[in-house]
Formats: sequence, C-alpha cells, structure tokens
Amino acid sequence: MFVFLEFLVFKTEEMEINLGPQHPSTHGVLRVKLRLDGETVVQCTPIIGYLHRGVEKICENKTWFQGQVWTDRMDYVAAVTNNLGWAEGVEKLFGIQVPRRAHYVRTLLAELNRIASHQLWLATHALDIGAMTVFLYCFRDREAILDIFEAFCGARLTTTAFRIGGLREDVPPGMDRMVRNFLKAFSTGIEEYETLLSENRIWKKRTVGVAKLQAKDAVALGITGPVLRAAGVPYDVRKAFPSAAYAEMDFQIATRPEADTYARYLVRLEEMRQSARIVQQCLDGLPEGPVMAKIPKILKSEVCEVYHSIEAPKGELGYYFVGEKGGANPYRMHVRAPSFVNLQALPKMTEGNLLADVIAAIGTLDVVLGEIDR
Amino acid sequence: MDTPENGTPTPEAPAAGPYVYDLAASPQRQVVLPKTAPLPSLKAYRAEVAAAQAADEAKWQKMLADFETAKAKAAEEGKPEPKAPVRPVPRKDDNDVKTPFPTEAADPDLHRLVELLADKVEEVFEQAGELVCQVRKECVLETLLLCRDDEQLKYDLLADETATHFPAARDFAFSVVYQLTSISRRKKLRIRILIPEGFEPDSAFPAYPTANWLEREIYDMLGIRFRQHPDMTRILCPEGWEGWPLRKEYPVVGLGQRDIDFREDRSGVLMRMAMEKAGQMGINLKVPKAD
Amino acid sequence: MTAMTLTQSFVTALLQIVVLALFVFVAVPVIVFAERKVIGYVQLRLGYTRIAGGLHGVTGGLNRLMWWMGKLPFFSILRGFPSFIADGIKLFTKEDIVPEKADWWVFHFAPAISVVAAFTVLGIVSFSPAPLWTWPAAVPIVGGLPFAGVISDVNVGLLMLVGVASVGVYGIVLGGWASNSKYPLLGGLRSAAQIVSYEVPLTFSLLVPVVLSGTLNFTQMSQYLSGAPIQTSAGPAQMPALAILPLFIGFFIYLTCGFAETNRVPFDLPEAETELVAGFHTEYTGMKFGLFYLAEYANMIIVAAVAAAFFLGGHHFLPFGLQRFIPPSVPVVGGASFGWFLLWMALILFSYLWVRATLPRYRYDQLMHVGWKWLIPLSLANLCLAALVRYFA
Repeated sequence: MFVFLEFLVFKTEEMEINLGPQHPSTHGVLRVKLRLDGETVVQCTPIIGYLHRGVEKICENKTWFQGQVWTDRMDYVAAVTNNLGWAEGVEKLFGIQVPRRAHYVRTLLAELNRIASHQLWLATHALDIGAMTVFLYCFRDREAILDIFEAFCGARLTTTAFRIGGLREDVPPGMDRMVRNFLKAFSTGIEEYETLLSENRIWKKRTVGVAKLQAKDAVALGITGPVLRAAGVPYDVRKAFPSAAYAEMDFQIATRPEADTYARYLVRLEEMRQSARIVQQCLDGLPEGPVMAKIPKILKSEVCEVYHSIEAPKGELGYYFVGEKGGANPYRMHVRAPSFVNLQALPKMTEGNLLADVIAAIGTLDVVLGEIDR
Repeated sequence: MDTPENGTPTPEAPAAGPYVYDLAASPQRQVVLPKTAPLPSLKAYRAEVAAAQAADEAKWQKMLADFETAKAKAAEEGKPEPKAPVRPVPRKDDNDVKTPFPTEAADPDLHRLVELLADKVEEVFEQAGELVCQVRKECVLETLLLCRDDEQLKYDLLADETATHFPAARDFAFSVVYQLTSISRRKKLRIRILIPEGFEPDSAFPAYPTANWLEREIYDMLGIRFRQHPDMTRILCPEGWEGWPLRKEYPVVGLGQRDIDFREDRSGVLMRMAMEKAGQMGINLKVPKAD
Repeated sequence: MTAMTLTQSFVTALLQIVVLALFVFVAVPVIVFAERKVIGYVQLRLGYTRIAGGLHGVTGGLNRLMWWMGKLPFFSILRGFPSFIADGIKLFTKEDIVPEKADWWVFHFAPAISVVAAFTVLGIVSFSPAPLWTWPAAVPIVGGLPFAGVISDVNVGLLMLVGVASVGVYGIVLGGWASNSKYPLLGGLRSAAQIVSYEVPLTFSLLVPVVLSGTLNFTQMSQYLSGAPIQTSAGPAQMPALAILPLFIGFFIYLTCGFAETNRVPFDLPEAETELVAGFHTEYTGMKFGLFYLAEYANMIIVAAVAAAFFLGGHHFLPFGLQRFIPPSVPVVGGASFGWFLLWMALILFSYLWVRATLPRYRYDQLMHVGWKWLIPLSLANLCLAALVRYFA
C-alpha cells in the first residue's frame, strides 16, 4: 500500500572492489576481493596464485642439493631461514650429523635474517599506514645485514647459504667485526623506530584494537609465528622443537596478550632484540672445528618421509620430504609456507572493519607472495 | 571437469588429457613415471630386511656349497685345498649418512591412539624421531577429532596437510598426511591415510579450520576431492586449468613449450606455432591489438 | 592614490595576475623541490641529498657539472635537481589517457575547477603592505602607477576566500566521479566528506581574528596583529594583550584543518596511495594530473598565506600580536615588509613537509572523529573565548 513511498527509503548498494593484484600495498601480487558497504568491509576473499611457479614440482626433479636454490625464491626476504629448513630437513632424512660450528654459523645467519625480515616488515607495514620515514630507516639498517650475507656467500638476497651437511666455507675473516658493528648500529636503529612509532598517537590509533585475532581462532586457523605469539600463545619452534644451535641459546619468546596489530608490532620488535641477543651469543660462543660433515658426492635416499619445521620470521616453515630407495632427488617435496596458512586469517581479521584496516591487516600478517604461491 | 580421471595410469600410456604432450613428437621430454611406491612402513621395512637377510644367507650358503664342491674337486684332482670362504661383511662407509629406518612404536601417544581406535589403525611406527599413525581412510576425521580433543593427546594445531601421488602402487594411488602439533605438550604426530583414485576422504575442516586452504591446495595440485569441504575449488592454478600438476604423469615443461625447443627458434616460426597450439587449447597467448 | 581610468585599472590588474601566476608557477616547483630535499634529509634518501642524476648519457654533462658544483657549500642545494627537472619533463610529456567510459566533459573540467578555485583565492591574498614597485613613466598605460602587493584588496577578503576555496572540492569530487572507476570514486567521496567536515572548524578558527578585530580585510588584519589601531566598519579596534590566547589556540586548529583541507599527511586519505592507489586522481595522467598537483600546492600556499596573515605576523616579524613589543622605529624587524610574509609562509610550508615525514595516516572514521568531536567543539569554545576577550577589551 505504501509502495509509492518507496523512493523515500535510502537505498544503499554494496560495492565490489579488487585490491590487487597490482596494488601498492598488497606486497606483491596478492588480490583481495572486497565487498564494501561504504567503507566497511562486508566480505573479504583473498585470491592467490599469481606467482605460482611450481616450486614443489621443480624440486621433485632436482637433486637434494639443487633444490635448495629454489627455496631462496620462496620467501625471498628471508632466504637464509628457508635454506636452513631445507638443509636441516634433508639432513634429517639422511641422518646426517652436522658439526657444531656449522650449527652456530647457521643460527647466526638465520637470526640476522630474521632481523632483516622483520625490518622489511616494519618498513612496509609502517609505509602502508602512512609513516614513510621508518621505511627508509629500516632499509638503511637492513643494508648492513645484506652486506654480511654478501661477505659470507656472495649473494645478498638469494643466498643459498648452506650446504647439506654443514657449510661450504667457513666464515670469512672480518665477518665477526661486521656483525658486531651491525649489532651496535642496530641497537640505536631500533630505538629510532620506537621513537617514531611506539608512542605515536596516530600509530596507536591505527593499530591498537585493529585486526584482532584471538588465540583460540588463531590456533584453529593454524596461525603461527608473531601473529600467534601476539595472541598470547608462547609457541616458538625454536623453543618447542629446537634445531641448529637454538637449544644452547638463551633467549625469550616474546608474547603479548592483546592479539591486535599493535601487539604484533611490539612482539616483532622484541623478537628483533632477542635475535640480536642470539647473534651476540653465537659470536661469543662460536666453537672451533670443521664446518662440513662427511657426505657423499651424490646423496641416494632410502624410503623415508620426514617433516621438519623451523621458525621462519613469518611462522612455522615446514618441509615435508618423501625419499625413494636410491633416489637422487626427492620423490615428493612439500612446503608448509607460514604466509600461506596465515593469510587464511585475513577474512576473519577484516570483515566488519574499514577498508584502511584491510591494509593494516595485510601488513600485520607479514605475507610474502613468493612463499604463498610458491 | 572436477572429477579426476578414472584408473591409475600405467607407465606405458599416461592418462589421456590435453596436458599430456605428444610423446612421439618429442621423445626426449618423456615423463618418467616412478617404478616404485616409496611409502615408509615398518612392515615393509621388516619384510625388506628379512628378504635381504635371507638373500644374504642364501648367498653365503651358495658360497659354502661352492667351496665344498671345489674342495671335493680339488681332493679328487690331488690339488691343494682351496681357501675357505670368508663371509662378506657390508662395506664400511666413512660417510655420515645413515637414513633412519622405521622402528617399533614406543611413544605413549601412539599406544594411546591404538588403544582408542583399535582396529581402525592400520600401522604405527616411528621414523627419524617422528611419530606416524596410519589409519583407515574412512576414519580420518574421527581420528583427527580424537587427536584434538583427547586429554592425553591434545594435538591442537594442524601444521600441515599434504598428499603424495604413487602411480606405481597397486592398491592405493595417494597418501594424505596430516602433520599435527601439540603446542602445550611440544609433540608432533603424523596421521596418514592411503586412498585409491577417486576416493573422497573426509575434510579435516570441522576439526581444524586451517585445512580449508591446505585441502584446496591438495585438490588443485593432485585432484583429490574432500567431502564436506566448504569451498572445493582451485587455489593456486587459475580456474579451468587442465590437469593436476603434482601428479607424477604431469610433465615438467610448460604449456606451449612441450613440443618446441625455443632455443632453435630463430625466425619466430615455432613461437607462432606454439601460439596457434595454445589457441587450440583455449589459451590466448596473442598480444591484443590496439583498436 | 590617483584616480585610474578604467583601462589603467584593467591593465594593472592584468599585469598583477600575470605576475601572480608566474609566482605560483615558480613557487610550486620550488616547494616541490624543497619538499624532496627536506624529506630527503629527514629520511636519509640518497637521491635528493647526495647525487645529481646519471653521469652518462644525454644529460650526463649537465649532471656532472651540477655534481661538481654540488661540492661547493651553497650549490650543494642543487643535488637532486636533475631528477627534479626530469620529473617536470615527464609530467608534461606523458600520454594523456582518458578512460573509455569516463564522463568526458567532467573528466576534463574537474582539474580546471580545482586550479581556478585555487588561483582565484590567491588574488585576494595581500602579499605586501606597500606597493612592490612603481611602473616607470616610460611604460605605456600604467606608467607611474604603483604595482600593489595584492590584486584585489576586498573588504570581505576572508569571506570570499572561504567561499571560493570550498569550490575547489568540486574538482576533486567530480574528478573522482567522472573517472568511472572505483578507487577514484572512493577517493572523491572521502575527499568530499573530509573537506566539508574540516571546513567548519577551519572557518570557526578563522573567525577568531575576525571577531577580535572586526575586519575581514587582509591588510587591515595585518595591521591589527602588529598592535596598531585600525578603523573598521565595526568601529575602531586595537589588539588587547589577552587576544594572544585565542589566537594561539586558533592557529593550531587552523593549521590542523589546513592540513586536512589540502589533503596532506596525516589527512591524505583522498589520495592514500597504500589504500586507494592514488585516490581521486588514479585515472589522471600527464598534465591533467599536473593540474591537480598544481592546485594542491597552490592550496598549500593559500593556507600558509592565510595563516601568516591572520595568526602569525602577517607582514611583521613577530606572531600573535607580539609585534607590539618592538617599536616600529627599529630597523628591519620593526617594520612591515613582503619579506616577513614570505618567511612566515615558508615556515608553515616547512611544517607541512616536517609533518609529512613524521606522522602516519589517520583512518577514515578517526579522521571524522577528530574533526567533529574534537576540532569543532574546541574551535567553538575558542571562538567564545575570543568573543569574551573582545567584549571586555
């Protein structure tokens, strides 16, 4: 009866918008399909696969030694930790005992890489939220870490730092001094980031209480790494299942109870400090001895399957290998990429929030598309 | 399109499909299908060890018998007695490489699982310090729920789920493995099921929501569909992609390159042929012309 | 002032417009370059603080020269200049792309609206208290006439400024809408909401000096701020000592709103590059984008000019009426001049860059929250304070 009054009703329409795959803040080629009601996100669907290269298939056709090169290209901002996972996984499958000195050097480089990865995360996350200066400060400090990698293995980003059974070479002379210089510069650098952000009102407004993910949901969704620890769950593969030299290191798991973006920021900052501590301990306690185990030129596996996981900067990085009898290459290789699993939480974190929070959520998850799509 | 092809392909003739390139046209790029199904198993390992021991023993017995005949022959001919055989010991390898072999299940978690699931467990063993429990393919969800909820197990995190293709196996085609982690107890456990081609296992989504994408990836890469999954679609490959890339019969070389070696393509003729071929397959590689 | 013929006044104004346009066309690149330099130094960027551009190729010789000159103390300011030049060339020579489904007319006129609004407002800003120069007698038509520091010294200058400046938002909204694309649309809508919201506290804070002095005229306001008695249509007025308080508070409210009005960090939501790619000008290329760019920087100049004239010293050395403590007889700092005005403008513009290098960006709802729940009540209270000061003075 009042149909003729329909024009009085204020009608709204949902808008569908594609964030990516070409977008400044989707950290590569992530595409997020959003349904917006005004600026409020009604539905959020991450769509991935634009960087799929078939690393798993390729590694099945490469030898146990060659496959490591491909792990660099997955999480390309933390190549050393990827190498560590591959090397340790293969060593577990072959039962290779790695010399203690090699373990220490590996731990040292992996922790340096964690700092570098977190610095890159902080840089891009801050830039997403609009703080431009932190970006360049972080890159300035990260440069020193890349120089250390370059001194160690000749590459800055795609390192292929380790070998199955240890290291190809011992640490070069002068690296000790480089690392110590970096640690000194880093301790002032991290103060600068904190000065710019930690008590910044706008930064806190943009991050406190944003993109919450409670511990129960996080565990159910398989989230690991800083995102889980910022929800108050003290799960760190380095402590829970220590490999390399982590069992001998003295460090704390950084946790926060708030489960929001600001908590993740604090957790990652604390992790950087703890990593610097581990690096210091590795330097001080670096044992003497060989850096390479005795392994044959060609590795031929027996029938065996292993799943080895390490704590990558983004979370639990797992390698699943199946070896066949006499196989010179993996019968099956699968990567449990932390970013891939963590990205599943994006809809839960963003739906019902504003568009700008999606950007903050993508940033706080710290996803790397090379690892998600593999 | 979503249903996987029926029947396990044999090494001679891979399952027909547009993604299998013309073997006759480029024989140097054949897909070499595996001859064995390398599934670690305590039973299989024991059988293998027993067989090896038996073979060793038989060889030794044959050596002894040969020696006896030789001795008899020598005595007959009046020659000096031949040297007695020495049982060969395995050559010592000075490498540090010793692949860990499956051992008897010693961990209380595995015993607990056997106790709870009884005959639904097919096999339990440990290898390389990892606990493995193989259950019947129909009861995987039940097992996962049990692992999650049981007070003594409390495996609250599904770290990983993946599958492997075994074209050479006779009574199964895939193994699906679930890597469980107990955050509070600091333990890891692997649940494994073996499924034939076309079988749809239950989705782990009700127990662990993280299985959502992991199972989509398995479906995308290996073509295993999961029952009760909320969204069984491709995740990494584009929609409508043909074939299951991580199956062993899928070629490594890419679309459009399968028959053509572009290193020899000086005039661009082969590239054009590849584009045409891709066009026939419904893929437009041509650069769109400006209006 | 001698009476002018119609022709004379027309030509004088035309010349003033040309000079002002030239001033803006020079000032905007200078601000852009200064922005890159300042941010470069704050953020340790190498491009604008260390290097001069490629040392090889077509421009290599020029760059080498600049690089060597950059080693001298003063000329080090030229570091980064070639890449700035290259930016300008790029802006002019880029292909002009119009999206197929865009509204052609609106799409083309939107940047023009922005620019016209910005330039019109500049016409009433009084840059100098005294004529900048007198045309020599030999010049035809305008010979012997002064060249004033303001094109049109209207009585209701501030009113006109607020009115015309708010037209500029149409350029942004229409540009966002006409692009027929989602990111520009969101950017345009954000911009509309933001500018409309912040116009209210901005105007309220501008009313503070108006209420105190009783004038809307730029020149008179500058005199008032120096402590001199002025004669307005509302009667005589002289600045009381207490007036410094509402002026001081009003200045910061005004500056905050000014940042929001010009879409600058931390209120750069309409063009938040990490959220909306480039906001309302996502689909604009080449010089049409350049016009938006020009309008944004011209608006910055306006905000700085108004802040200088209405809160800071105006044409004087000390801000907020503190000038009264310096007798006019003191050379340089005691008098009114064009230089002080430019200095105050430069300081405000520098604060733009400083803030940009330091602060993150607000979220949309937080922006509205700040605008409606903080700035508007605060500016209203401040206005009441100003009224009380005026009443008791």
